[in-house]
Amino acid sequence: MTNSETGLKERQFKIVGTRPLRPDGIDKVTGRARFGADMAAPGMLVGKILRSPHAHARIRSIDATKALVLPGVKAVVTHEDFAEVGADLQDVLENVMAQDKALYDGHAVAAVAAISAGVARKALRLIEVDYEILPHVTDVEAAMAAEAPVLHDDIVTSGVEPAPKTPSNVVHRHEFGHGDVAEGLAQADVVIEHDFKTAATHQGYIEPHACVGSVGPDGQGELWCCTQGHFWVRNTCAALLGMDVSHLRVTASEIGGGFGGKTTVFIDPVALALSRKAGRPVKIVMSREEVFRASGPTSSTAMTVKIGVRRDGRITAGEAVLKFQGGAFAGSPVDLGAMTAFACYDLEHVKTVAYDVVTNRPKQAAYRAPGAPMAAFAVESVIDELASKIGMDPIELRLKNAVENGSQSSYGPKFGPVGLVETLVAAREHEHYTAPLGANQGRGIASGFWFNFGGQTCVSLNINADGSVALAVGTPDIGGSRASMGQMAAEELGIGYDKVRTIVADTASLGYNDISEGSRVTFSTGLATIQAARDAIGKLCGRAAQTWGISPDAVVWEDGYARPAGANAGEFPPLSLAEIAETAAKTGGPIAGHCEVNAAGAGVSFATHLVDAEVDPETGRAKILRYTVVQDAGKAIHPSYVEGQYQGGAVQGVGWALNEEYIYGEDGRLQNPSFLDYRIPVASDLPMIDTVIVEVPNPGHPYGVRGVGETSIVPPLAAIANAVSAAAGVRLTELPMSPPRVLRGIDEAAANGKA
Amino acid sequence: MREQVRFLLGQEPRELTVTDPTMTVLDYLRGEQRRCGTKEGCGEGDCGACTVVLGRLNDGRVRYEAVNACIQFLPTLDGTQLLTVEDLKRPDGSLHTVQQAMVETDGSQCGFCTPGFIMSMFALYQGTPNPPQRQEIDDCLAGNLCRCTGYGPIIAAAERMYAIGDRTGDAFRRLAGQTVDSLAAISDQETVCVGDGSRRFFAPATLDDLADLVLAHPDAQILAGGTDIGLWVTKQLRILDTIIYIGRVAELAEFGETDSTIEIGAAVTYSAAMELIAGHYPDLGELFRRLGAVQVRNAGTIGGNIANGSPIGDSPPPLIAAGATLHLRRGKDRRSLPLEAYFIDYGKQDRQPGEFVERITLPKPDAGTQFRAYKISKRFDQDISAVCAAFALRIENGRVAHIRIAFGGMAATPKRANQAEQCLSGRPWSEASVASAIAALAQDFQPITDMRASADYRLRVAGNLLRKFFIETTQASAATRVVGAGNFAHV
Repeated sequence: MTNSETGLKERQFKIVGTRPLRPDGIDKVTGRARFGADMAAPGMLVGKILRSPHAHARIRSIDATKALVLPGVKAVVTHEDFAEVGADLQDVLENVMAQDKALYDGHAVAAVAAISAGVARKALRLIEVDYEILPHVTDVEAAMAAEAPVLHDDIVTSGVEPAPKTPSNVVHRHEFGHGDVAEGLAQADVVIEHDFKTAATHQGYIEPHACVGSVGPDGQGELWCCTQGHFWVRNTCAALLGMDVSHLRVTASEIGGGFGGKTTVFIDPVALALSRKAGRPVKIVMSREEVFRASGPTSSTAMTVKIGVRRDGRITAGEAVLKFQGGAFAGSPVDLGAMTAFACYDLEHVKTVAYDVVTNRPKQAAYRAPGAPMAAFAVESVIDELASKIGMDPIELRLKNAVENGSQSSYGPKFGPVGLVETLVAAREHEHYTAPLGANQGRGIASGFWFNFGGQTCVSLNINADGSVALAVGTPDIGGSRASMGQMAAEELGIGYDKVRTIVADTASLGYNDISEGSRVTFSTGLATIQAARDAIGKLCGRAAQTWGISPDAVVWEDGYARPAGANAGEFPPLSLAEIAETAAKTGGPIAGHCEVNAAGAGVSFATHLVDAEVDPETGRAKILRYTVVQDAGKAIHPSYVEGQYQGGAVQGVGWALNEEYIYGEDGRLQNPSFLDYRIPVASDLPMIDTVIVEVPNPGHPYGVRGVGETSIVPPLAAIANAVSAAAGVRLTELPMSPPRVLRGIDEAAANGKA
Repeated sequence: MREQVRFLLGQEPRELTVTDPTMTVLDYLRGEQRRCGTKEGCGEGDCGACTVVLGRLNDGRVRYEAVNACIQFLPTLDGTQLLTVEDLKRPDGSLHTVQQAMVETDGSQCGFCTPGFIMSMFALYQGTPNPPQRQEIDDCLAGNLCRCTGYGPIIAAAERMYAIGDRTGDAFRRLAGQTVDSLAAISDQETVCVGDGSRRFFAPATLDDLADLVLAHPDAQILAGGTDIGLWVTKQLRILDTIIYIGRVAELAEFGETDSTIEIGAAVTYSAAMELIAGHYPDLGELFRRLGAVQVRNAGTIGGNIANGSPIGDSPPPLIAAGATLHLRRGKDRRSLPLEAYFIDYGKQDRQPGEFVERITLPKPDAGTQFRAYKISKRFDQDISAVCAAFALRIENGRVAHIRIAFGGMAATPKRANQAEQCLSGRPWSEASVASAIAALAQDFQPITDMRASADYRLRVAGNLLRKFFIETTQASAATRVVGAGNFAHV
């Protein structure tokens, strides 16, 4: 698809699409970059959190008397030290600090601030909590059973008719789709149905959560923390502490990975509450064990998918039932899973039913395209098997059913220009697709979809007197966005990339910015940056007009210079940005561009992944041999960082597919809260990940950008499952495909005479 | 007794009075020195974000090795040079080659793991003259976790540093003479003793001093590499009252060979001994290559892995199968025992109060003995074994003349498979004998189910590994290993 077809102006870029060095690169290789735990404040105390050792327990009482008399202890807080909040934040508050019940192993119960880590730890041991241990449930299907222990007396399943009368762990039933699935399945030549399961996984950012909070005697607060969204942190902490929003200033540190897991608060309100009570700054840094037990992993799931296909490859109907547990509180991403499950396909009859379930596990947080990878795993596994059943190439089958411009999506809206077909064609044409395979090796393919988001954005672009530009954005940089924002600003202004310095401003310096999530930053902060640059250009042209004594309408901006619009405007030598900036004090004062926007028009994106795997039939171990990511970026601003997102998503998918899982014991406690036993891939586990950037421009962005950060994790689970299943000779339906599970699959197939 | 710990921080000599003997190097760097470039990602030696490089005198030269600062106790720095990411920049402020390469290949995304990677790559760059192969790079990076990049750009940086760098002009090489002099100036034969009176850390420099100290403090915790004991402190928050560190004892760091044996001192690290051992037992060398990661192998010792008695340690099974002998010393008394006899029960070893592991004797394999070792773990590198297996076999006149089979992860201790061995001993090395031995493994072992593997899986894999050993010893051309080529990978 060309730009003209999508209505975008053909444009020759000078800086966009190139690969300049990132502005934060040198700080990161010299140790100068300051992350969450690197901040210190005068008089700072150490905060530690007491966590429930029980999966489910009523808290009869908390007695901190002994802790408070320990020398060096400056404050203890419990839920009583937080404000009352509205219904929208009640779960966040209860997750930050347990109220009447501890709902999972690791749930915060109390916290202490002391002069050292040693004293703080000792104080935690002196806090007496009287627990009444309650029966617990950690498995999603067990939690849905009638006899399951109920976590919340006030949750009654919504979305079902007639409305139930008794409390349940099923929070809500969602349904999406159109047509009549039964009618569609009746038209099919082959119908396949499978049950699937996936384990909960963790985002696995290497930097544990960390913050320094300080509240002065005047009630003014400051917070330094590693977060994907400091404006949201500010609003939430202010609410939880009963402060005016303007009384809290939050600065986002460098962030050592988030992937969705740093879009909420865990320790930040606690540090502020402790500081308010102790009258000194308080630093809290989570241990790795705390990160695993008490931050926000993703859902574990149970799914059933049924799809029918005609011999000619046309899918006649698809149906999915998804059950996701989201931990101890409502809000698993099962609805997003249901909306994305069939989003790749143009179906006449489609239905997805989704159950949001609570269990005695930590409250899940977003993890890169939340909900979509699991749903894609189930659907794309069945698609793969259907292709094999009707003897059709799996890419061919997908192409026959792929959504295009104008297709009705399975979750509601009609698609605009989309790039699924382009990714499938590029995958089919890639040399990888026809490369030979050896014994015990298999190739898998899968496609995936993600919505991408826009949202509230505010940026400020200041033209300095020397012609350099300071660009202040409000979205923490989680993937190289300071570089790509600098590129877009430089492109628009017509100046060099090295003339723009992009910073992530604190919450007092800009209007509200939504979190760096939903693959929204390059799209919406980029859009806002371009608009702010155009705003500044308008003012630069105005100053030139003033200097020349002509109408501002008679000035144009080209390649970094203000020029008279034409012969009629008069003859003046062009004025550069630097020249105009230099005289700004005389022509009206500082020049700056701004943009405040609630960005709409984020383009959805699709990807297709190719994977080769080898399975050792004796031990069940699977190894990834080759991996190619093909994804639509709309327009790649900084291709290296786009590729970085493609590779990173694929590799997180490799871990999820093969190794990573939350393992709970009978006692409801997490068995593997460490990187030793929660295995994320290392270099030797992986081949070099090949990438292909497809560009089908998004008409909603001036340069055609689509978000790229999340789509890359949607296909891997399915693509790898398809590859491993092909290599093992048996359909694997449970993740992770750890060696014992693969071996069991091989055994069962042998027992059934299939292998 | 010397009551200060002496080391070089960068090129600067430091002399510290350490009151907290189990303060970690990481806490010292981040807390006392405010060198925040070294990061804490896990506090237990798994993620490598805290990787620093230690320079040690070795045959009149400085050898640079990467270690995890998070589980290294500060007093163990005595006599070494400590380098962190802040030390790498050139005097004019420009980047070191390793840093420059990382910038150029976009090896940082979030950047949190970057300093650790930089330090691992720096150690590689100092120690490896020629551009490394992919496997060497993988080995170098196996102890560093990155969650953003998928490692591709970092591997590219490890290649690029050789392309853009002038190794011979490297500042650290140019300063080598001065560093050697500085390290020599702070090394002595005095026992170091630091602490706060109630908690003490002894670091003797001679074997006799060590023997006296252990005898005088029979309750003391003997510390070698600390890759396990470090976690007792950082993770289990245990308080250790008296520690005796063996890492300064020169005699215990010695290793070498006789005509018929390989002798390994108790303080010899995996990294140090790997080449010698691999020369005689290629498979054991390969197993060590997969033990922990380079940071762990640079600190961890074979002696410590044995003395510690863990049922999942990876060195006892192959050493038992190879017929190793353990030498213990108490005061002036020495005794030796077959390695398998040392492991009595879970957490219980045949070591008396006041006694310590001095040396391990590993017989060189007879001509005709076939030796294989296998490690089964969820991940290839830096993982705990679900099952570790080792086999030594000699066939004479078509019959099994010698067989030793040992497993880790199958019982409360590393253990020989006596029943299985009996099924094979004196019998033909055949499918039928092997089948009966596989069946007998169920009498030898009743493994447990845990998060690493189920009991059934362990038993099944143990049998499969014996079968694999049979195939590898009878069908030379059979492809039996998924990863790597030839005999050199263990899957």
